[in-house]
Amino acid sequence: MSEFAVRNRIREFRQLRAEMTQADLARACDVTRQTIIALEAEKYSPSLELAFKLAHALERRLEEVFRFEEKN
Amino acid sequence: MTRIQRRVQVLLALAALGAAGMFLGGEVGLGIDFGPVGATVLYAALGVFVFHLARYAGQVFPEEWAPAEKQAWVALVFVALVSFNMINLLAALPDLGAAADELRNSATRPLWTNLGILMVGWIVIAGILRKQDAGGVERDERDLRIAHQAARIADGVMMLFIICLVVALVALPEQSRTWLRPLIAANVLIALLIARTLVENIYTVLRYRRERG
Repeated sequence: MSEFAVRNRIREFRQLRAEMTQADLARACDVTRQTIIALEAEKYSPSLELAFKLAHALERRLEEVFRFEEKN
Repeated sequence: MTRIQRRVQVLLALAALGAAGMFLGGEVGLGIDFGPVGATVLYAALGVFVFHLARYAGQVFPEEWAPAEKQAWVALVFVALVSFNMINLLAALPDLGAAADELRNSATRPLWTNLGILMVGWIVIAGILRKQDAGGVERDERDLRIAHQAARIADGVMMLFIICLVVALVALPEQSRTWLRPLIAANVLIALLIARTLVENIYTVLRYRRERG
């Protein structure tokens, strides 16, 4: 059976917003900066609520920020 | 690693040496009892650690550690120290005979003193950390998920410990159960609860470490 993983482009979209630091994004989403670090490193998959908050803070659509793909 | 963090590592190494002396202690030679010497080194190192924590806010722990991870590390250190105290007590009680049934005996007196000091130290350090991390998010969904998983693992391990204890008690021949006095049984049950907390904290710090990659 194939294994799937949640991939994200949080770091990429955050860096596109020049002023936005990990701490800013953490504050906007009510999480710790360390959770943003874990998310960007794809060591943690967020809840649906947090995923929506992240997409909203990055001003992107959910499916642009997250995708569900087969593990290599 | 910063200069302060290196200093804290030396302090923790000193505290570990002190704890080893305190728990394994006894007279080794030269007429020195390493028990009280170890205790002094341990408590002095913890005192200096508290000073560093208060003086160099935010520099003692690595920046990439979440507030809940710092609290878990502090809890792990103190629960480990409490566990060593409990092991010492459980090792000493069977030799006391009837005195083991008294709440205050030669084995429990140093335990209460040590537990008192450790609890005060734990409350002070946890309080300083909470104050330093105030203003931000203290626990988010990732912290809660890790805490929930740690509690589940710890409950499973405690159930295993209890089953092992029951099997051991049933399997022991009657003449080997003479050490089993009511207060010793009560202390064994407390030790199980402490072991559960220890497993919970070990899992928590390992999980944070793994998620940091």
